[in-house]
Amino acid sequence: MAPLRNSQHTFTGVYALDALDTDADVARFERHMARCQSCTSEVRGFRETATRLGMAVSRQPPPTLRAAVMDEVPRTPQLPALDDRARHRRPGPRLTWLPRLATAGAAVALAAAITLGVVLVNTQNQLDQTQQQLSQARRQVTMTKTELAAINAVRTASDATLLTKATPIGGTVTVVFSASRHQIVVTTRGLPVLRAGKVYQLWLIGSNGNQIRSEGLLALHNGQTGPVLISGVLPGDIFGITLEPPGGTVQPTVKPFVAIPAS
Amino acid sequence: MRASEPEMPRPEGGEQYLDGLLARVARGDQAAFEAVYDGLAGPVYGLILRVVRDPAQSEEVSQEVLLEIWRTASRFDPAKGSAATWAMTIAHRRAVDRVRSATAAAARELRSAEVPVPHDAVADAVEASLDAERVRRCLDGLTESQRESITLAYYGGYSYRQVGDRLGTALSTIKTRIRDGLIRMRDCLGVS
Repeated sequence: MAPLRNSQHTFTGVYALDALDTDADVARFERHMARCQSCTSEVRGFRETATRLGMAVSRQPPPTLRAAVMDEVPRTPQLPALDDRARHRRPGPRLTWLPRLATAGAAVALAAAITLGVVLVNTQNQLDQTQQQLSQARRQVTMTKTELAAINAVRTASDATLLTKATPIGGTVTVVFSASRHQIVVTTRGLPVLRAGKVYQLWLIGSNGNQIRSEGLLALHNGQTGPVLISGVLPGDIFGITLEPPGGTVQPTVKPFVAIPAS
Repeated sequence: MRASEPEMPRPEGGEQYLDGLLARVARGDQAAFEAVYDGLAGPVYGLILRVVRDPAQSEEVSQEVLLEIWRTASRFDPAKGSAATWAMTIAHRRAVDRVRSATAAAARELRSAEVPVPHDAVADAVEASLDAERVRRCLDGLTESQRESITLAYYGGYSYRQVGDRLGTALSTIKTRIRDGLIRMRDCLGVS
């Protein structure tokens, strides 16, 4: 019974390198893989490995490539997300404050207004202070090694900028942004402990004002929070925190009490 | 402005930042796509050039691949692997499709008869990055026959039957060499 299946299993390497000969061979192996958890994870590891081989021969493409691709992008329709229909059936709560961000002009005005209220500092001293905050937080919050490494990489990036803002409900929020890594690290200090029935929820708002995504809830330990890493951040994006019902919401229901631009 | 920079901006420490960017690309964010382009165009073009060899054709295939990344970004699932791997898998597949068609293969055989394939798999890598250095070291750690089979299959775009024919080796042996070699490479590179 086993020989066929076993022999299929040893195709993991050939399959991961796209080296099977025919579509029928590929289909046969994929049918086997659907039932074989160890094959699936072996193929995944081999693909990551092959990716390193590919990255190692990276070459600067001709500049004409960029122009050709960017020309095509606006007229190339995208596949919808697989769960789009489900999302449309259950629209999130209506945003009362977001429409004002909807035009680019309004977003710029808002970003400017926010910046005025922000203490902009970029000194080594301040970065060192964040480092202390980070190491304190590190003891309080369990994080994976990868997360910690990524957080450190943002903090020590040569283009790291740091913005601290006092919030109207008390405490401060600090955002370290690295444009080259497209990431921010958020830490807070002295935010009020919330009564049951409210949570802090984090948001990233695109600079054009019409893209907003939840970055999860903030866990408070002794009035401080561990560093939170947010990826996929572009210059001009705005980071904000709202008070939401337990479990959080799909879209913010109220205006953020603190908003800090990534810049 | 970006296109005229001599060096492609490369963020320090891996390509994980791409995962978050792809989620934005899936929602039609063109600025995010430009950032993804900056992170992936070099690796995508380099790999395709390696397999296809002809620069004009490689540029054409690269364009297809980069637009496919834009078009299908919503199908990227971070639970199944990194964004870089998702993109490089698309790139490799497209490159292989290009060279495996019968006429393309014949033309390539002719050309490779004139221009010998460099023995060292990463000899002409322009970017002498630390990552490339590590890949080179790990390739050196394979047996000669493992390295030969993996190099022909991945960088050469040959099917394992074609690899067997070229080396005059039984198919089952090639299959085992590739798998054993990849296990060793994976462990050497610390891929989890």
